Amino acid sequence: MTFEEAQQELEQIVARLERGEAGVDELTKLWERGEELYRICAAKLEGVQGKIEELGRSTRENGDSG
Amino acid sequence: MKVEATEVDGRKVYSVRGFNNGVSRWLNKLPTLWIEGEVTELRRQQRWASVFFTLKDPVDGATLPVQMPRGQFDALDLGLEEGERVHVFGRAELFEQRGELRLKALTIERFGLGAHLAALERLKRKLAAEGLFAAERKRTLPRYPRLIGLVTGNDAAAKRDVLTHIAQRFPPANVLVAETYVQGPRAPVSIATAIGDLCRRGVDVIVLARGGGSFEDLLPFSDEGVVRAVAGCAVPIVSAVGHEQDTPLCDLAADVRASTPTAAARLVVPDIAELRARLVRSRDGLRRGAHRAAELHAQRLSALHERLRRAPLLALERRRARLDTVHARLGGLSPAATLERGYAIVRRGEDVVRAVDQVAAGDALSVRVTDGTFGARVE
Repeated sequence: MTFEEAQQELEQIVARLERGEAGVDELTKLWERGEELYRICAAKLEGVQGKIEELGRSTRENGDSG
Repeated sequence: MKVEATEVDGRKVYSVRGFNNGVSRWLNKLPTLWIEGEVTELRRQQRWASVFFTLKDPVDGATLPVQMPRGQFDALDLGLEEGERVHVFGRAELFEQRGELRLKALTIERFGLGAHLAALERLKRKLAAEGLFAAERKRTLPRYPRLIGLVTGNDAAAKRDVLTHIAQRFPPANVLVAETYVQGPRAPVSIATAIGDLCRRGVDVIVLARGGGSFEDLLPFSDEGVVRAVAGCAVPIVSAVGHEQDTPLCDLAADVRASTPTAAARLVVPDIAELRARLVRSRDGLRRGAHRAAELHAQRLSALHERLRRAPLLALERRRARLDTVHARLGGLSPAATLERGYAIVRRGEDVVRAVDQVAAGDALSVRVTDGTFGARVE
């Protein structure tokens, strides 16, 4: 699940809860799912440090041959 | 003058010198004209009477040797460099000693700003007519790119700017950097190749970044090959070339134009601080929402319970009200009000007396008035 998907689902759940649409049985499930999605999103933001890679030298060598 | 031939066994035979001379004289009849190309292999030595270089066609690499008397060349004082684009005014001639065709230059002009601008304008109109700059071609950038491609010079400040700002704004971002030449004759091919390579490596957005530079420095970013590579790029591409006032053609072909490399970084990644804040708001909303929903259900339930409790009482009250209505209507029909006004009901036995012939003298009657009954006798 991507960050974007998790964030979208979380916001949909919040909107449903705020409109009071959720049934009683559903309520607990939605809330738990929301908390889970929150943890997924937070982990994706905090845990990971991005990588900066250099594309192989080939690009420059191709340019050199011109 | 005519080229002399000798007769040998009935055929005309020319000497090499004679042939070359003949061709040379024929070539001399060709007009003098302007030729555009790039200067390569420039050779100039003090002891040579002439300066030599090769004029190269920038599009397909065709070449033409050029010769110019050294005195004339030096008088122009152009300080030409390898790869520089020039206009040469000259005519074809044959170097008779070796039978080689070359251009005899009479004068050389550096391909000036005006010529560059005119060429750019022509290219711009051509590419615009093909629809390469059309607004409906523009794609939106991914909000959360998985892998960002960066095309930039190897030691460029632009590279540092983009990488620093991406890392600051969104630390989880992954970047794949393709270093290329960003100016000079090798730049166009190198840039176009890098764009293709990055796409094949699976980036989902590309930033093409170069800091400010002179008009000539930025020319590769208006090169037809580069502009076509940008327009044909498989993923959305942000062009951040030069400063605000520069508009290389690649800016027009890109999906989004950023005024600076820093601005490009802001465009391709979200701000992690904003994302965190949004996430916290979502979590608060989740708790508030769950609480509100539970409360709403409780309220509905207690309202229902209340109605249930009051239902029997309500039914009873409704019946009583109906009874009262009926009773009131009954009151309207009773003779009591009439008796009150002084009327009486006269009965003989059980029968109400309505006519004179119902009674005879001496009959006992009962008379009902408003407050009671008394007896009477008919006379």
